[in-house]
This record gives sequence, structure tokens and C-alpha cells, in this order.
Amino acid sequence: MSSELAFSLRGVGAAVSGSFALRDVSFELPTGYVMGLMGANGAGKTTAIRCLLGMRGFETGEIELLGHRVPGPVALRQDVGVVLHRTYFVGDWRLAEVERALRPFYDRWDRARYRQLLADFGLDLRARVKDLSRGMAVKLMIAVALSHQARLLVFDEPTSGLDPATRDELAGIIGDFLLDEGHSVLFSTHITSDLDRIGDYLTLIHEGRIAATGTKDEILDAYRVVRGGPDDLSEPVGVQLIGLRRTPAGTQALVRTGEAGLLSGDVLVEAPTLEEIAVHIGARANRRDPHPGASGGTSRRPRPDVGRQDRGSSMSARETA
Amino acid sequence: MTAIARVAVLNLRTIAPYRSQGLVLLGVAVLLGARSPVLVLPALGLLAAPIAAYPFNVADKAGLETLYSLLPVTRRCVLYGHYAWAMASYLAAVAVGAALAFPLARVEAVPFTGRTFLTMLTLAWALFAVNVAIQFPLLIRFGYTRVSVLATTVPLALLFFIIVKLDLTIGSVQIWLPLLWAAGLAAMAASAAVAITTDRKRLRYGKPERDDPTGTNQRLE
Amino acid sequence: MRVVLSNSAGVPLYQQIKEQVGTAILSGELAEGSALPSVRALARDLRISIITTTRAYADLAAEGFIATVPGKGAYVLPLDSALVREQLLRQVEDGLQAALDAARRAGLQREDLIEILDGLIHAEQDAVR
Repeated sequence: MSSELAFSLRGVGAAVSGSFALRDVSFELPTGYVMGLMGANGAGKTTAIRCLLGMRGFETGEIELLGHRVPGPVALRQDVGVVLHRTYFVGDWRLAEVERALRPFYDRWDRARYRQLLADFGLDLRARVKDLSRGMAVKLMIAVALSHQARLLVFDEPTSGLDPATRDELAGIIGDFLLDEGHSVLFSTHITSDLDRIGDYLTLIHEGRIAATGTKDEILDAYRVVRGGPDDLSEPVGVQLIGLRRTPAGTQALVRTGEAGLLSGDVLVEAPTLEEIAVHIGARANRRDPHPGASGGTSRRPRPDVGRQDRGSSMSARETA
Repeated sequence: MTAIARVAVLNLRTIAPYRSQGLVLLGVAVLLGARSPVLVLPALGLLAAPIAAYPFNVADKAGLETLYSLLPVTRRCVLYGHYAWAMASYLAAVAVGAALAFPLARVEAVPFTGRTFLTMLTLAWALFAVNVAIQFPLLIRFGYTRVSVLATTVPLALLFFIIVKLDLTIGSVQIWLPLLWAAGLAAMAASAAVAITTDRKRLRYGKPERDDPTGTNQRLE
Repeated sequence: MRVVLSNSAGVPLYQQIKEQVGTAILSGELAEGSALPSVRALARDLRISIITTTRAYADLAAEGFIATVPGKGAYVLPLDSALVREQLLRQVEDGLQAALDAARRAGLQREDLIEILDGLIHAEQDAVR
């Protein structure tokens, strides 16, 4: 079983600071597919990735990466390529020097591939790292990862700050990488349009907990978006209103598909977009409700700890699986 | 072993773009040597310490700690690699020093015997080793920006020149030579041990992390 | 192979692919034996998920339009295979049923329907000639 998974996190907990921690984080990706890790800023995407890559410790749970327990043999890093929002190379290195510096560390470094990829990506061997645009820097990190023949590519918000044309190019590069069935991709993002199309699996993380994880269709099927007038959706019985937004013009919330039938007549119930799911799940604690008394409880702002417990019991980590 | 050597070479590549600044230091050494060829070696031993520490400066700015944590080398190899790099920079510095000191001594017609050379080599080593032994654990734990390299180099430089001003004769240091070598080596070994022990707190599994002075865990989102 | 996906059609992407490829095969646009891009290549080219293209191909294979070779790709099966014939028969039945429903509302008799059908067949033959 484990060899068919690119990675898995099971019940991972990691205290980051006094007020933030990953709690009981579980999700996994089968080899050969793309997973989008979606969440607001500060939701814990980067922390989860750092735990997965062995870049930081964790206190509870276990992580498996390419068939090995983390922390595992250091040789495992031969198989993993990482693209972060800023490069981790010396700014004054030319791209030829990047190769010279990194090549000695990798058993399967392919010089011709590196040169070919740079040419394909429109990168000049003589350019300096610090002079690269955001998109070029992303492509350089991809070129490095592909040159040492990584089997798993991990992107931390690769698309933030990229123009649409470069984002599309990135989707094509990821598609090329995935032509090999042994290759897998994890990327974190808060822009849902990118995931909408190429993501096979999705994990929604919110305040250090997994809100939902599964295939994209499973996630989409698991929720419904409901819309009503300003006075609708008050205190519905047995229905949890996720990220309720009440304005003088109307009310909108996300509900679980199974509970949607319990809503009374006058509201519009529709299949949500990923964007709407992200907005409502991400809004659960951030948004200050203008009428806390009428909000039916879920969007009130309780003490952080209480809120977490509440969410913990109501949204199990793998509810859509 | 090879992994340690690779990290040492990575340090060299890290500062390679700034090699022209090293030439300035070399110029300083030549100027000093022109006045007193005997002092070239200890001066270079002293200058080698900030050069050995320089990769930490570049690493801080470029986020190389991330690179170290992604490369297929153990954390221990990374740390030993830093020390291997330091030793290599000492050897390079004294090699350059020797190459300068002998011709300069000849030109200035200053006596420069093998015994003097050995003494100066030892002094250079002691100055270098004490510097690096103090600085490296701090640099590894806190990063370059939070540790002033000059904090140890400047006092040592002053000490060195006071010793020179006191007109400490070469003969009087002679008996201390083996001790100085041993002390330098011991300091380096102790330093590496301290660095590894304190660094272990950075990455911990199964127990809560209390503090994180390198800030790596704070730069999260 | 030509696949044009619509974001606003309200039809799932995998179904759009399935229908378009199926139509191309039925119309002869994709001849028997012609190779289709692999599931992963198609996903890359359309910028959609592998799961989506896998599902479309699985459905096409189940309906007898294509055969997939694991790790390689897929190719178009002969059209006269029983499954496809059955598929076509079902389409004919569906079409005739729709015609029948409309005819009932219009008050047409069996003879009228046969006459219309003959007329259509003749018109098509004329057009071919």
C-alpha cells in the first residue's frame, strides 16, 4: 500500500508558536497524481509542507514520503524537488554556477537536461539568480528539480505573483512531468482557478486543521452553497452554516450536501465552485459578523481554543473520503 | 566524508562571486608584509577567520539554510562541512602567507628562518582557531546577521598587536608552540561539539519546540 | 483529435471529452485504429486533471469506442463492434421515440410517420447524388 502513495500524513501535530499549531493533520496522495493544498494565508499550508519534507519536526502522528518514514534516509531528498516562493540559491550565482554548486550532491544529475530545460524555459545560463523575475525563478527551481530527476515535486504557492500566461506555462510543465506515472505533484495555493483544472486531489486546510480532503469531485460533491434573503438561514435546525455571510441584500453560506435537504424552502441551493468553498471555509473565523446574534452560531467569533474544538468535532479530517 | 567535502566546496562556491573582495584583503596582507614580512602569516591567520565566516553572511541573505535542508546531506554533514571549509580556508591563507612572506623577507633582507616560519604558522593557527571556535557555533545557531563576526576578531587583533608591541621575542614563544597547536585543535573540536548539540534543538521530532532563535520556523506563511 | 471544452456548459468535463471523442469516432473523423493521446498527455494538453481524462477514456472504453493500452495510450476500435452497434441502435431508438412523442402531440398516424421517414431518406439520397 505504502509504495502506491507519494506521501501520507497521519494525525500530524506540530506546535509552531504559542497561538498556532497543526492539529491532527491527515492527508495522502497516490503516486502519479496532483494534489492542491488549499487554504488562506496562515492556515498551515507551509508548515504542513515543511513537516512533510523533514524541514521541521513534528510532535505527534507519522509522515511517510515516497515509501519512507519521515525523518528518513537523507537519500530520499534525491527524489524530491521543491519550489518555494523565493529561490534558495545565492543571488549572485549565474545559472551555470547554480548547476556547478548543486550537481555534486545529486547521484542522478543530468547536465544535458539542465541545459535543455533552461533553453526550453527561456533562461540564460549567464543570467544571475537575483535578476530573475518571479516566473523565471520558479522555472529555475523546476529545472533544478527535474535535472536531479525528482519523483515528487512540491510547490509552495508557485502561482502567487505569476501572470496568467506563466501560470498556464507552469500547468503545462507540471503536465509534462506527470506523463511519467511514477511522478507526483503537491502544490499549495490560495488561488483556486489554478487547481480547478489540473488538481486531481484537494486538501483544504484551515487554522491548522484539515477541513476536507479527497478527489476534487468528492470535495465539490460534499458541499452546497445556499443563498437567501437577508432574513433567511436564521437558526436552521441540524444544519451547520459554514462561513455565513449576511448583508442587507442577502445571505450566503456553505452547507454539507447531506444537510442541504434540511433547509427550509425559500433558499437557493447550488453546487459550489472551489472558489466558494475556499471563501466560506476560510472565512469561518476571520470574518466578523455584523449581526452576531442572528448568525446561528457558526460565524460568531468564539475564543480561539473553543473555536478549534468546535471545528474539530464538527469537521472530521477525512469526511469526504 | 565526501558529503562533508561537498558542503565545504559549496561554501567556497557560495562566496565565489565575491572573490574580488578577497583580493582587497590580500592587498592589506601585502602592505603589512612590506613593513614586516614576519607578521604576514599571523595577520592572514587573523583575516582567514572572517573569510571562513563569510559564507554564513551570504547564506543568511540567500536563504541557503533552506537549501541545506533540501540537499541530500545530513545536518551533521552540513555542520562538519562548515568546519572542513574553515580548515581549508586556514590552509589556503597560510599557503598564501608563506608564498608572500619568504620573497618579501628576501627583498627586505629580513632574516626569516624555518623556525620563525613555524612559530608564525602556529600563531596564525592559534588566532584563527580561537576566532572560528567562538564564532561558528554562534553563526550556526543564530545566523550571521545576529552575530557580529567582528565581536571576536577585533579584540583578538588588538591582543595580537599588543603582543607584538610588547616586543615578545620569537624565542620566548617557542616553548608554547605544541601547546598552541593542541589548544587550537581542542578549541575547534569543542566548538564543533557545541555547534552540533545546540543545533539539534532546531529540528526536533516528538517533543514540543520551545524556542527557535534562527527564526526558520517563524518564516512560515 | 479535437476536443473543445466549455467551462459554462454545465456538463462535466469528462462527459464533454467522452461525447466529443465518441462523436468523432461515429462520424468517421477518427478512423478505426487511429491512436489517441494518452490519458496523461491529454490532461496536460487540455490543462485538466488526470482523473478527469482517465474517467472519460474509461467510459469510452466501456462503450466499446476505444481500447486503452496501459502505459501507452489508446486507439480507436472498429466501429462495427457489437457494443458500438448497440450504442447506435439505442441512439436510433431514442431518436425515433422522440419523434413518436412529437407525432402523438401533433396527431400524426403511423402512415404519416413512415411517409416523413421515406421523405427524409429520399432527400438524403438526393443530397448525396
